[in-house]
Amino acid sequence: MTNAVPPEATPGGGDGEVYSLNMGPQHPSMHGVLRLLLDLKGEEVVKAKPVVGYSHRAHEKMAENRNTLQFLPNTSRIDYLSGMIYNLGYCQAIEKILGIEVSERAVYIRVIANELNRISSHLLWFGTFLLDLGGITPFLYSFDDREEILDILDQVTGSRLTYCYGRFGGVTMDVDEDFLARTTAFLARIRERLGMYDDLVAKNVILRERCINVGVISTEMAKSYGVTGPSLRASGVVYDVRRAEPYGGYEKFDFDVPVLHEGDTMARFHIRISEIEESCKIIEQAIKGIPEGAILPKKMPKRFKIPEGEYYFAVESARGHFGMYIVGDGTDVPAKLKLRTPSFSNLSAMPEALAGTMLADTIAIVGSIDVVMPEIDR
Amino acid sequence: MSKALLEVLEPFTSSSEESDYGATGIHRRHTTTLDNLARVCEAFLGAGYIFEMLSCIDLREKEEIMRLCYTFNSLETADRHLVHADIAGGLEAESFEAPSISSLARGADWQERETFEMYGVTFVNHPELERLLLPEDADFFPLRKDFGRIEDAEAQDD
Repeated sequence: MTNAVPPEATPGGGDGEVYSLNMGPQHPSMHGVLRLLLDLKGEEVVKAKPVVGYSHRAHEKMAENRNTLQFLPNTSRIDYLSGMIYNLGYCQAIEKILGIEVSERAVYIRVIANELNRISSHLLWFGTFLLDLGGITPFLYSFDDREEILDILDQVTGSRLTYCYGRFGGVTMDVDEDFLARTTAFLARIRERLGMYDDLVAKNVILRERCINVGVISTEMAKSYGVTGPSLRASGVVYDVRRAEPYGGYEKFDFDVPVLHEGDTMARFHIRISEIEESCKIIEQAIKGIPEGAILPKKMPKRFKIPEGEYYFAVESARGHFGMYIVGDGTDVPAKLKLRTPSFSNLSAMPEALAGTMLADTIAIVGSIDVVMPEIDR
Repeated sequence: MSKALLEVLEPFTSSSEESDYGATGIHRRHTTTLDNLARVCEAFLGAGYIFEMLSCIDLREKEEIMRLCYTFNSLETADRHLVHADIAGGLEAESFEAPSISSLARGADWQERETFEMYGVTFVNHPELERLLLPEDADFFPLRKDFGRIEDAEAQDD
């Protein structure tokens, strides 16, 4: 984090003078508290330097000071938009370390909850990204859709955003017929809407002008920076943790990993829309196949002691590869927990992606990689 | 994991053993020295692997070392390799230095900055080794084990 440096704005810099401009951390189009220190030559970005750390809450330090169960509520606050995925991902990591069996019904419930969360995260991105580009209507529509997901998840988890639904070995609450019926109805609704969004938004000439060939991330660059998630798949790499190292029952479901090769802002837009469709497919299969049974094992230990050793488990969040590197020392408090978050690596590629672009495109490019600041700052 | 890659790695690693992927999520573990770190990294990147994560474990009290942990992974089929490189130094050691791999894997740039501010490991030849998440004037390394608990830290108000 760099302390506030007053930007040296030089008026009338038409003849090649370079001046600095602070964009954020309180800029209406910046996501959360991201601050970009831009060196500009006219309207061209010469150098972009992201300044992060404004919402650093020391989650990794907290993990070393509390036991595995006590850390559970922290997980959904790392990335508050895919809180469910993080929460269940952490449960799955501890379960794999300790060899805890998860009942079949809990596995299916988790998949449904995960994918609903992924859709809600993509919908929020869809709305805010277009809002940044100047279109307020899609924002209202997508938040209307997203609200339905929040209601459905609220009904079963009791929270709207920072879920703590997972427990080691299962989930806290069982789902009922009403939940499944509402989810099915939602799938029908969102599918209809996606067609409408495609007509209204994806074919809109203003959006296309602002997105096509803007902010191209090459395959080589994406790999070197460790960019993952939709941003990597838009650059021509078929990599999805759900497919590469299946976890939590994803191997049972039939879904595609959408991939495009352009690597530009438009490609990242299309990938996320396709992912909503794929998530719908997964939820549909899960609702069809959900078995009866218990949601938590009958007998559970009181303390979850992590055996001595090192562990690394990854899940696919809405933004990409979220990895947990856990070092155990035989107690129930981990000696170390490193959170490898997707937005961190994705944003670190931005200085290179932004250099040489126009100031007006900065918002579109940074918006298109879908950063969530709390997961970068942790 | 291909045999060819193992052969390339062999001269640069002091130990290399398989790990139980099902229970640990790691396919293979290696130990290398700071001098050979760049060679190991080049071998992985050359074989099409990506640099995934850098972290550090504070073992100054028990083993008088600071341990750097790198993971490399393949994007085609999951094949995660954990590489350890130890920096010698006990609780009294004033500085810890390691070579930077950010010129090889650009994603290491920020992760090295984070390791620097959290553990006080200086990465030699890093282009811009500044603090990333903490304030610029922070004079502490919070993830070191002797930092103590956050609750016990003195409140600072500027």
